[in-house]
Amino acid sequence: MAQVTADVEAVRGRLMPERAGQHGKVLLAGKVVNSEFAERVRSLSGVDPRECYQCGKCSSGCPMTPEMDLIPSQVIRLLQLGQEQDVLGCKTIWLCASCFQCYSRCPKGIDFSRLAEALRMLAMAGKVEYLAPEDVPEEVLTEVPQQALVSAFRKYGL
Amino acid sequence: MKLAYYPGCTVRDKAVHLDETTKASARELGIDLQELENWTCCGATYPLTEEKIANLVPQIRILRNVREGGNSQVTTTCAFCYSTLKRANRAIAVDDLRRQRVNAFLRDDDPVRPYKEQTQAPADYEGEVAVLHLLEVFRDGFGWDRLAKATKKPLNGLKVAPYYGCKLLRPPKEVAFDDPENPTIFEQFLAALGCEVIDFPFKSECCGSYLALSAPESASRLSHLILTSAVKSGAEVLALSCPLCYYNMDLRQRDISKSYPGFQHVPVMFFTQLLALALGLDEKVLGLDLHYVDVRPLLRQKNLLQ
Repeated sequence: MAQVTADVEAVRGRLMPERAGQHGKVLLAGKVVNSEFAERVRSLSGVDPRECYQCGKCSSGCPMTPEMDLIPSQVIRLLQLGQEQDVLGCKTIWLCASCFQCYSRCPKGIDFSRLAEALRMLAMAGKVEYLAPEDVPEEVLTEVPQQALVSAFRKYGL
Repeated sequence: MKLAYYPGCTVRDKAVHLDETTKASARELGIDLQELENWTCCGATYPLTEEKIANLVPQIRILRNVREGGNSQVTTTCAFCYSTLKRANRAIAVDDLRRQRVNAFLRDDDPVRPYKEQTQAPADYEGEVAVLHLLEVFRDGFGWDRLAKATKKPLNGLKVAPYYGCKLLRPPKEVAFDDPENPTIFEQFLAALGCEVIDFPFKSECCGSYLALSAPESASRLSHLILTSAVKSGAEVLALSCPLCYYNMDLRQRDISKSYPGFQHVPVMFFTQLLALALGLDEKVLGLDLHYVDVRPLLRQKNLLQ
């Protein structure tokens, strides 16, 4: 339990450095909830994150959680709370491989891959692409299947 | 049995053994695969946001060409092509707005005839064509019994673990290929070929997919997990259908060996290579020299190869 508490504290510290050490306190106010952002993600993705009741099935089935800084259910919770910077700045949205394990098990029919795709689009909008062909070593570019190139640059390019 | 065939870009370059064994096996089984004319890339991934309407165009152009060629069905072997074609087809069938927008885009799109001719654009496409994976053709059209009877060299004693990956099974409501948590189609196929089918817990886990480019170490972790799980369950070879899974399972073993000391190589085969082998086709068709992990020593040991 102490480890879990420490892990939660570490994540909280990364997300909200100004509130580090205040484990257990939930500070919410109307002015910090960006509903407009949550609505933009909803209309882009066609998925309503407010449906989520945090059962955690998505995160328990997700094959990529070991590399994620926020697990999928945490991203959805932060989306509900309109925490734009947290969800656009996390690694999670770039690590979703769209395998749809979460979606096929979600009791509320939420497709996290769609949310991640909308968040990637918003994170890249007007900025640079996440992955450019020159970022990939040439030997990898020549050996990977064509479908991987098309998919990766569709997901991570502008 | 005549059937339109959509090969896909990867099977013409990085996975020619999937394409060649598909065509040779179909010929042997009396299935007349007719490759589509003027086919293009399917777009590889199905667009997941409402704004990306242009990313639905390649799939619908391909499916409209299937219909214009007088076919009501099209088959493919690549899991990515299957998934994206099938999902786009369903989206067009159920979503009025998308159907109108994609068809409006495609009305001016007729690459076959020169534009100086007065041409009549094909009628709007409304999702009429059925998209079938080759395994579905065997299950629903050809039949497992008939396949088992056509097998000249049953693969008796070969312990094969079927690996589904993600795209064939999910999202279940849209792909509707098999039970997403307990699929059996691949097992039935392998059983018809005479294999000893090995069940293992990671058969529908993701291989890391296109993270092969952006997070290769994650792809190595997942592939290692899947391969070792199959071996612990008793598998000698992993069978799969997706060229990207194949890359992440076969060539990636080079990287897995570096990251996980003590890892033993596991041979990986396309399901159509096993089919061609069981049908007794010439070894030259199988493309066994294209694998990173050589499967030939195992097949010779089992007396399945000269």
